[in-house]
Amino acid sequence: MRNIWTVYKRELRQYFVSPIAYLVMFAVLLLIGLNFNTDLQDRANFEPADGTVVLSTFAFLMVFFAPLLTMRLFAEETREGTLELMLTMPIRDHELVIGKFLGAWAFYSIMLLVTLVYQGILLSLTNFDPNPALLQSELDLGPIIGGYIGIWLFSGATIAIGMFFSAMTENQIIAGFLSMAVLFILWVGDLAGLLPASIVSTRVAEALRVISLQSHYSTSFLEGVIRPEDVYFYAAVMFIMLFVTTRLIESRRWR
Amino acid sequence: MIEVQNLVKKYGDFTALHGISFKAKEGEILGFLGPNGAGKTTTMRILTGFMPPTSGLAKVAGHDIFDESLAAREKIGYLPETVPLYPDMTVQGYLEFMAELRHVPNRKKRTKEVLELVGMDQRAKSLIRSISKGMRQRVGLAQSLIHNPPVLILDEPTIGLDPAQVADLRSFIRDLRTQHTVMFSTHILSEAEQICDRVVIINRGQIVAQGAPRDLRTKLNLGSRIYVEARGRADQKTLANTLAKVQGVKYAEPYQNGVVVNLKDNKDVRPALAAAVLENGLELLELRPVAITLEEIFLEVTSPLGESHDA
Repeated sequence: MRNIWTVYKRELRQYFVSPIAYLVMFAVLLLIGLNFNTDLQDRANFEPADGTVVLSTFAFLMVFFAPLLTMRLFAEETREGTLELMLTMPIRDHELVIGKFLGAWAFYSIMLLVTLVYQGILLSLTNFDPNPALLQSELDLGPIIGGYIGIWLFSGATIAIGMFFSAMTENQIIAGFLSMAVLFILWVGDLAGLLPASIVSTRVAEALRVISLQSHYSTSFLEGVIRPEDVYFYAAVMFIMLFVTTRLIESRRWR
Repeated sequence: MIEVQNLVKKYGDFTALHGISFKAKEGEILGFLGPNGAGKTTTMRILTGFMPPTSGLAKVAGHDIFDESLAAREKIGYLPETVPLYPDMTVQGYLEFMAELRHVPNRKKRTKEVLELVGMDQRAKSLIRSISKGMRQRVGLAQSLIHNPPVLILDEPTIGLDPAQVADLRSFIRDLRTQHTVMFSTHILSEAEQICDRVVIINRGQIVAQGAPRDLRTKLNLGSRIYVEARGRADQKTLANTLAKVQGVKYAEPYQNGVVVNLKDNKDVRPALAAAVLENGLELLELRPVAITLEEIFLEVTSPLGESHDA
């Protein structure tokens, strides 16, 4: 536990001295801001404001930006030779893997927390109503709260996947590219059902949907519904990826 | 402190270590010598718990490196060949992180101590990416000392340093002897000769010689050599042929302006050599013993064909 904490602290601190982390945070927040602004404009006077736009944008951006932040986790250590030292430290392999994972996840959580600004804006906009009879917020808080939980779990899963690829190679670019490709496929997987049945059979589409990262939040968490199966799904992805990564690190000892 | 028995390491079909055995006692500096690719790094990686051996036994400070890996690792300070540093951290931050991983009590104080020990206390706040190679080496060394381990394993610690830094580091390692067992690898023989109590010479995964540098010479029965320079009508070749006939001489060959005579054993044949020179009507200019360096021992024992100069 203590070792996990030590590794976690260093990993999280590392993000705040790395320029790429700031660039990613800047890009993600800027893009979310733009999308939020456009969406708000489109809805003005037509539809109630929707706080989940921020979250679905965040999730979509994760597919491309998560690999940028996870690719260095192990690839860099392998290349710098620090992994050799870490593996001769009196810590267990899984402590190293979990510590690193939690560090990266914490950085994402911070990024996710910053987006609460937009919810604050929405709240202040929607609560401002001159009619005392309509004092209640127009903003539907259910999907927002559920959404934050869901997207947080989703980002944990994407980081676990990205870390796995980082442990596979010492080349950061390859690690980043592979995880981006895999995340993208897993993310759009649930759209397979939109294709004609002659191309993708219903069964295959169903199966893809089950393993798709998107389907486990888009129709549940973002609607304000917390289904245990979705929680289990993301937890399982994280667990399996951390387990496989630990094994991968262990296997380096045998090479 | 370090005990290795019949260590075998195979990478697929390639056998890196063919069952090596050696020991290092407490407070001893053990030099691990060998050409590149001999298996030095492999041995050290096994000892530090980075990878397991294919077979064999290795114990560090009484702990089996495989069965009690974590306990053994706690007793070891390790400096790999490529100094393992995080370029984005400060020197101090890096050492404190290592101290925390090693569960060192009073981390700040110990970090300061170690920084002073390696002479880096002035640069504690510098980013590692901004310091020179010699300094990085010292930070790496500081990292291996942070938990005051009984056993230090240093993989080619002097590589890439300038001569002054090398001298510094050597005296530093020599000073560590009082509290630590040090095992370090090198392929610079004078280095091993200067600071080691014992050397182990390894080649192609096998130990070809081990012992105190002094003893190795006699043990390997390399005999001793004498340089003879003479003036007169005969050329070097003739002189060499003449001297080769003296009893107790293995062979003689021209060298610089004279002849180097290799002896079969350590009997003193100087009078006989002098007489042989004079008998041939030559003037003896110089007659002195030539020391056999570790370098030559090394070449002798690691030569691929095991060839030796038998006349």
